[in-house]
Amino acid sequence: MTINTAVKNENCWEIRVGEKFDFSVVTDFREAYSDLPKSIKTIEVNLTDTLYMDSSALGMLLNMQKVLAGKPFRYVISNCRPPVARILEISRFNKKFDIV
Amino acid sequence: MFQILIVDDEYINRCMLKEMLISAGYDDCIEAENGVQALEMAKEHTPDMVLLDVVMPGLSGLDVAPQLKKLSPGCYLPILFITALDDQASLVRCLDAGGDDFVPKPFDSVVLIAKIKAHERSRLMSLELVEKNESLFWYRQDVERNHRIVEHIFANAMAESETLDKHFSYYIQPETRFNGDVLLCEKSPVGGAYLFVGDFTGHGLASAIGAIPVAKAFSAMAKKGLSVEEIAAEINKILLEFLPADMFCVACIVEISPSGTRFTIWNGGMPRLVLRDALGNITNKIESRHMPLGILTVNEFERNVEYVEANEGDRLLIYTDGLMESSHPVHGVIGEEGVEKWFSERCLSSARGFVELANEYRQGNPANDDITIVMFRCEPFRVVNEPETSSMLLVPFRTEMVLTNSHLKHTNVADFIVQKLTNLEGLEAIRSEVFTVITELLNNAIEHGLLKLDSELKQSAEGFEEYYRLRAERLEQLTSGHVKICLKCEPCQRKLIISVFDSGDGYQLDVRPELPGDTYGRGLLLLEEFCESVKVEEGGRKTIVTLAF
Repeated sequence: MTINTAVKNENCWEIRVGEKFDFSVVTDFREAYSDLPKSIKTIEVNLTDTLYMDSSALGMLLNMQKVLAGKPFRYVISNCRPPVARILEISRFNKKFDIV
Repeated sequence: MFQILIVDDEYINRCMLKEMLISAGYDDCIEAENGVQALEMAKEHTPDMVLLDVVMPGLSGLDVAPQLKKLSPGCYLPILFITALDDQASLVRCLDAGGDDFVPKPFDSVVLIAKIKAHERSRLMSLELVEKNESLFWYRQDVERNHRIVEHIFANAMAESETLDKHFSYYIQPETRFNGDVLLCEKSPVGGAYLFVGDFTGHGLASAIGAIPVAKAFSAMAKKGLSVEEIAAEINKILLEFLPADMFCVACIVEISPSGTRFTIWNGGMPRLVLRDALGNITNKIESRHMPLGILTVNEFERNVEYVEANEGDRLLIYTDGLMESSHPVHGVIGEEGVEKWFSERCLSSARGFVELANEYRQGNPANDDITIVMFRCEPFRVVNEPETSSMLLVPFRTEMVLTNSHLKHTNVADFIVQKLTNLEGLEAIRSEVFTVITELLNNAIEHGLLKLDSELKQSAEGFEEYYRLRAERLEQLTSGHVKICLKCEPCQRKLIISVFDSGDGYQLDVRPELPGDTYGRGLLLLEEFCESVKVEEGGRKTIVTLAF
């Protein structure tokens, strides 16, 4: 499993990343938000399975916001394991994402 | 061949009897003239029947009969007394001495043969019984031996968990020798714990063996730190392949965070899990949302889990249905509500407490099913550092590898190194960090050193994609250059030193993200946070970092 997407509920689009979140999934991650249903208000990146992450993943997350700029989405990163949470914290991602 | 021993001191009687027997088809007759000889022959030949004269010189028939019987313990040896005596007292004495019947003198061939045939049937039946008893005995020995073997394997598979003993109050009661309930606990690499509580259909040996593959798979996945969803899906797959169609495993899988207050729960068919606060108020119930493990195909299987937050001092209760099926002779089964009432009103804080209440409730009736109860008190897992034991196993080493352009075209170079390193004890706990650090170093060396990509390109959304497109393109075209990686492990100081050198131009140190939104330059920040030290040498071509573990 690399990247899976699903409509979590009417308003929320879930992007679920696999064990590894690094540059090898650049294309998959870009495609994960390329065709969003109209009703969507929240984009949730679920990192429950993610054990390994590097700075290119941070780039991908920020790039998603740039690509979707102008649309008033709420961005959520959920279920981080401690090492992943630490990477997000070091990079102060809480300023741009709701980390839950 | 049915063998008959004839004992008579008179030659003529022996001859007459033998004649009658042979003409009735009993060809195998042996003869003794007196009691002593009779006993010797019985020892030597083990006859199937004895015709025994009562009145003989020396040992009489009455003396010989009990000794003959003793020679054939466990199997019926018919003794027929040959006698001219017909008074009641004599006949009673014969029977008391162990005789089974009488053949009156003078001999009547028809009566004699009829009696012999009747006792022959009994003798044959008795022989058959002895044989069956013997095979039953061996069979039981065999079953016992097999049970012992399985028990041994089972005990090894269900190895005691230190984490379980330290952090949980639990109770396992098998209804038979082997338990269809399974309780597994494994600490997670990040410092929390995983728990598997399951109940196979049925009980005893047949259901217990299902636990063996589950235990092995669970332990391996927990050590890798896989998510609850993945563990559930994998165990479902194993059981689907392993179990017969009518067998499955009701189970819940729980991951507990290092803080002990955050739970990830997958519940397939178990009684709902209950969370209560320190005052005894029930604050959460986690119902079963799934079918048991081992039923749904890989495609049908639902992996979704629930997340539960708790406060320190709360208690989480997990139990198998054996507990809620505790039955009172009048009031019937206790049910989930009853168990929860105990949990809440009595403020029970140990698994043992439930067992006592359940025993009391059943009023002496035995439990019908295996009972497993686990209770967790929400509190942080104490970090147990085991530097003494692990540093003994970890030997200092230094290894160097040179990756040429053909190696670098594979994206899994970092995976390979992380996999090799984290097989070592002590490094396992920081494998996520090791991955991040090695990937950052390698990407710097490849992207900037060898491929001469410019990070600033990543500023814009289009540029970001262009950057990775160029990365793939230039890597594909790369025909020269290499990256040298050196790993040095100092277990005594608990340090891992990694240096990465590229044969290209190196990279500029001073690239830093200015704004929170900058899509580049974060790699170095991560390196500096994760590592004790980061040194850049040879004009940016060599980076040396030190990681503590």
